[in-house]
Amino acid sequence: MAAVSGQARRRRSLPVLRRGLWRWVILILAAMYFLLPLYAAARFAGIKAYGALISQSGFTTALWLSVRLAVITTAITLALMLPTAVYVHLKLPGLRRVLESLTILPIVIPPVVLITGVLQVAPGPLKSTPYLLGLEYVVLAMPFAYRAIDAGLRALDLKTIVEASNSLGASWSRTLMQVIMPNLTTGLLAATVLTVAMVLGEYTMASLDLYTTFPVWLVTNDQSSATVTVAGSIFSLFVTWLVLLLITVVGTRRGRRTGRPVSLFTAARQDNRD
Amino acid sequence: METTPETGSALSAGNGSAGRSAAVASGAGIAFATGSGGASVALNGLTRRFGTVKALDGLTMNMAPGELVALLGPSGCGKTTALRLVAGFDFPDAGSVLVNGTDISSIPAAKRDMGMVFQSYSLFPNMTALDNVGFGLRMRKTPAAERRRKSAELLDMVGLGAQAGQYPHQLSGGQQQRVALARALAIEPRVLLLDEPLSALDAKVRLQLREQIRTLQQRLGTTTLFVTHDQEEALSMADRVGVMRAGQLEQIDAPDELYARPATPFVAEFVGVMNRIPGELRDKDSVRVLDMMVPVKGSSAAISGSRVDVLVRPEGLIVDVTEHGNGIVITRTFLGSVTRLSVLLSGDVTIQVDKPSTIAAAIPPGMSVSVSLPSEPVLIAPRAA
Repeated sequence: MAAVSGQARRRRSLPVLRRGLWRWVILILAAMYFLLPLYAAARFAGIKAYGALISQSGFTTALWLSVRLAVITTAITLALMLPTAVYVHLKLPGLRRVLESLTILPIVIPPVVLITGVLQVAPGPLKSTPYLLGLEYVVLAMPFAYRAIDAGLRALDLKTIVEASNSLGASWSRTLMQVIMPNLTTGLLAATVLTVAMVLGEYTMASLDLYTTFPVWLVTNDQSSATVTVAGSIFSLFVTWLVLLLITVVGTRRGRRTGRPVSLFTAARQDNRD
Repeated sequence: METTPETGSALSAGNGSAGRSAAVASGAGIAFATGSGGASVALNGLTRRFGTVKALDGLTMNMAPGELVALLGPSGCGKTTALRLVAGFDFPDAGSVLVNGTDISSIPAAKRDMGMVFQSYSLFPNMTALDNVGFGLRMRKTPAAERRRKSAELLDMVGLGAQAGQYPHQLSGGQQQRVALARALAIEPRVLLLDEPLSALDAKVRLQLREQIRTLQQRLGTTTLFVTHDQEEALSMADRVGVMRAGQLEQIDAPDELYARPATPFVAEFVGVMNRIPGELRDKDSVRVLDMMVPVKGSSAAISGSRVDVLVRPEGLIVDVTEHGNGIVITRTFLGSVTRLSVLLSGDVTIQVDKPSTIAAAIPPGMSVSVSLPSEPVLIAPRAA
């Protein structure tokens, strides 16, 4: 009897083992796909290239411009997208699909068309500053930021907690700051990191607008010092990875506190969680 | 359709707010008390349309200070809309909401001083139970130490002192609703609004919380408007129950009055179990039913034709065992002190009759019985199709 059940157990555990093995094979293949080019790039650049990065002409200026643009873009994007998404969720739920479609537009419209459009309507004084680029990036960041915030809002019983907050005497602004935003940290962080990553990596618009942002500098510098450029690319990848790590850590801490699963996109609906 | 205006005479008896405050201070050993006491509330001709649908159609009712009024009705009758208008989450197309005689119809929810407990769990997920209870006090800029003390007292009052540091997801549904109740009471609301707060809970917890809400409400003397579709909840908790239908108030009365003397056929059938027995109007004041003439309650002018249904409660029928009666017992259901008999009358009409279990034990299924009515006035309705 014991022998029979032992055989049955072995028969059952064989597919499980095989499944586990396949998982490892896929994981290793995927890791190689991503890591091998990075390894090759790091090896090509060499250690010295990282040290030379700082002293390269235009590096700090370009990086500083990109960082400023990232901050401005993120601030404007969140300031626009958060109240809009909250308002649509609460007052115009029927428009959610329309807004989703609208926010996709920047992905399908070519950057050159966007630039031409923005240049037509932008106020004169702004045209001569790089902050115009920030406004263009706000348009580009819309699809990512809106989706991240929208997913976060869908995970909340927004209407009820807003009404509960109002009935307890909180104004709209206090409800937004003290009730909605703390419960939307993961969504806001996701929107932030996606926006920052987009700004730090965007080349076409900056190049067409003739501003030397970090990606433009990388391409330009590639002509004179390829190893340093590659080191710069790996550096920017490392920064992005650090930001993602930060989100995961913060999100996990919040998840433990509020009992909500955390992911970068917070995509899972939790309407029926209770 | 008849709307019975609140007369003031049927308001909760003997619930003086001074007495209640004293009970809170001494009885519970808790320093917290509703400083504002209960407020009077008047809804005057509230009307609210959503597109072509009239959710509320001239709702008028009054609530006395410290009274608990339940609005009862089927889905879509407008009871939640009424509550939302009182809370300030929505605004009426016509009519007004008066609290202590002041029109608050245009005041936003945040400035109405009304505590609300919602149907779905409405605790803020990022805050502990203590912080949730203290949120309203924080909005009122109550000093932190006092806020914490008061919140802890309220959590003790709802029996959750030990859970003060827990987050909503660590609490059961019943515990969450108790925290929500404490949170609503923390701001010492002029009016407490309860939007089906028990409907998401299981039967046992619902019963416990029902009693707890009623006890607290009576101790604190907070005027309370309670919306529910559960008649047992409404009848057991409220000082008065308002039955709503299609945006209008059909009747508002004390639970026993509502049950014993329903003003309309809808109320009669909505509250409790009601039999429909075919009858024939002989004149505007009497109806022939079960081979006897009985007087009609109220006016029969609104009913066209002579074919009507007579509405009688299961305990309002007389059943005698007789060899050639007008009905046959088909089932017998033991309900404790009473037993419900299903009796098949001629014309393929089945009615329910409640008898004391000691008597019903001698009336098994298959037995011939004679069913009759006492000679009291009966309520009639147009014959059901």
